[in-house]
Amino acid sequence: MKLSRHTKVAAAVAGAASVALLASACSSGGGTDDAASDEPITLTITTFGTFGYDDLYEQYMEENPNITIEATNIDTGGNARTDAFTKIAAGSGLSDIVAIEEGWLGSIMEVSDTFVDLRDFGIEDRSGDWVDWKYAQATDADGRVIGYGTDIGPEGLCYNGVLFEEAGLPSDRAEVAELIDGDWEHFFDVGRDYQEATGKAWYDHSGFVWNAMVNQLDEGYYTADGDLNVEGNAELQERFELLGAATEDGLSAAQAAWDWNGGKSFVDGTFATFVCPGWMLGVVQGNTEAGGGDATTGWDFADVFPGGAANWGGAFLAVPETSEHQAAAAALADWLTQPEQQVAQFEAAGTFPSTVGAQDELAANPTPNEFFNDAPVGEILAGRSVGVVAQFKGPDDSVIQENVFGPPLQKLDRGEVSTQEAWDEAIVLLDELVG
Amino acid sequence: MTSTLTPPTGTGSGDDDRPPRESRLTWRQRVSRFDVKASPYAYVAPFFLLFGIVGLFPLAYTFWVSLFDWDLLKGQGDFVGMDNFWAILNDRFFWNSIRNTISIFLLSAIPQLAMALLLAYLLDQGLRAKTFWRMSILLPYVVTPVAVAIIFSSVFNEADGLVNNLLNLVGIPDQQWKHDTFLSHIAIASMVNWRWTGYNTLILLAAMQAVPRDLYESAAIDGAGAARRFFSVTIPSIRPTLIFVVITATIGGLQIFTEPRLFDVSNAGGIGGADRQFQTTVLFMWELAFFRRDFGEASAVAWLLFLLIVAFGLVNFLLSRRVATGDARGGRRAARRAARKGADA
Repeated sequence: MKLSRHTKVAAAVAGAASVALLASACSSGGGTDDAASDEPITLTITTFGTFGYDDLYEQYMEENPNITIEATNIDTGGNARTDAFTKIAAGSGLSDIVAIEEGWLGSIMEVSDTFVDLRDFGIEDRSGDWVDWKYAQATDADGRVIGYGTDIGPEGLCYNGVLFEEAGLPSDRAEVAELIDGDWEHFFDVGRDYQEATGKAWYDHSGFVWNAMVNQLDEGYYTADGDLNVEGNAELQERFELLGAATEDGLSAAQAAWDWNGGKSFVDGTFATFVCPGWMLGVVQGNTEAGGGDATTGWDFADVFPGGAANWGGAFLAVPETSEHQAAAAALADWLTQPEQQVAQFEAAGTFPSTVGAQDELAANPTPNEFFNDAPVGEILAGRSVGVVAQFKGPDDSVIQENVFGPPLQKLDRGEVSTQEAWDEAIVLLDELVG
Repeated sequence: MTSTLTPPTGTGSGDDDRPPRESRLTWRQRVSRFDVKASPYAYVAPFFLLFGIVGLFPLAYTFWVSLFDWDLLKGQGDFVGMDNFWAILNDRFFWNSIRNTISIFLLSAIPQLAMALLLAYLLDQGLRAKTFWRMSILLPYVVTPVAVAIIFSSVFNEADGLVNNLLNLVGIPDQQWKHDTFLSHIAIASMVNWRWTGYNTLILLAAMQAVPRDLYESAAIDGAGAARRFFSVTIPSIRPTLIFVVITATIGGLQIFTEPRLFDVSNAGGIGGADRQFQTTVLFMWELAFFRRDFGEASAVAWLLFLLIVAFGLVNFLLSRRVATGDARGGRRAARRAARKGADA
């Protein structure tokens, strides 16, 4: 009997709590749209991955005492996608500022009127700040601009100098850049030498390499006009076969992405190279440290990328129409993407800036990154961003990357299928999931 | 209930005095009568109102959505009738997800209920520090499924997870817990079992404690051993509770989502392994709705799953009733016999 009384009390408490929640949910709201006023405003912002904004929030709140920032950071871009999509579908719940990833920007563009036209808040005056393709990416078919560009993802090569040395390869980053310089076939051939010398894998898993290979093309899964561009795309298939041959030769470590055996695979020499857009540097460091490694593990960053310049990812800050403080939100997003703040963001998280001013700043003042063997990563990335042009991303780009090509590549990594079978399976999946 | 309590009315009753007598009732009496008749409905109304809003309406609306081309972001499109249902019924991934769901359900529900019964039986014996044991068994239930999934995902890690390390100790090589279909089902079922066994145990325990002790005594005097008493007295006596537990386990088991979703972090699209080897039906629905953005087909999956759960629930209900009743007759007879013997002696 005693138990049941406890239960009743618990139920009463739970009931009261839920009523309180409801009440508070209802009371949030109201407020004005006037950024100039000193009325206290709470702005919510949702980011993902390692965004490096925490100190900037503090600074902004200090400079603008009437603003309180409530930040949410979602672990991966994939989960942020689900979060944003669900809330767009529900018609409510989006925070005042939403970070949008380039990979699913194509889907967002189909409902771009969910987000406010930032030209109303003066983004046009700043259009020259960004590299022009970044600004163009955030512009929809009607000419509305829905996002302040944060970072871009120029890709360089992360490599493990210690492992390179053990295999008899040069470990100095300039020599490595010279060694790797060339097309993908050359990159895989160097990998074959490494594999012969050590018996170990060259790259972590095929999915990321494939992503880089596709992103590098002028047109990827879609043509620039928005038509599906996979079946019968000789260029794409040729690259797939190159990757497949390398994987069949044992160059892939068949790792589970975003897990890498809890980061240990970055430490125990499972693989020697890793495709690294700027924002990936934080991921590599985080996983190496999670796996028990540190700067002495040997990771380094070379100013080279197979096949030339490539971009992977990058984000935008958008303000949804449902925001009750659109002007204040736009002001904060504007501030966060100013060159000065982008440099601070780069220093905190390694995300490479999308504004020309910040890029020049990083190129001019190379600061060594302790974790990456003191590599001047800002300067290197500035070099890697030369010639980068973002590819058109269609509405189902992320589905094709994750659910169409992802699974066959994993099976290829594990040696369960041949290259031809993997390609055929991807085409079947494409028909079933997207077609 | 109401029909038996209310006196029959109308011409068939043959009672001519009735209508005038009713009109003779005072206002107060009529209010009081109304109160007696109507109040119970008013008391239960909040539940049905809530159920209507959060249960029935979404169910109906989901069906409405399933009749359209419905993009997650763009919203309602063209009316397509039952096309979404046909598309799903012809989708090999739907059937794959059904197979996975049922496999995981069987691997979890059966051992879980057997274990819960056994544990409840043990806890029903005179133990010291009863509350301690009972609360300890419920502890896993307090942990959120997300935490359970993340921990077990690490435990079943193929490269050097706890399970494979333990297996290596006894000379068994590493097992492919995340790639092999059957092994991945076992791994996911073990998460479900870990979390739900204690909960079911407590419910069964509560029912067992309501079994009159003299039944056991009589059975014991009659020469029934512990096993015989368990199967012939305990099980039949807790039949309604057992049915309840089986049905809730069925509903829960067929809706499994969190565990397979988090078991494989590298597939963002929610496909449950490279070969969809552990993609359950709810996970398939999630993929359709939130990754592939096809809300119409996802709603069709939701409805098909609903029908499947109802069907499974019915089969379970009938089965568990039959099993329990079969035993119950024998059990009651034995108990009655025992009681009679006791009285004779």
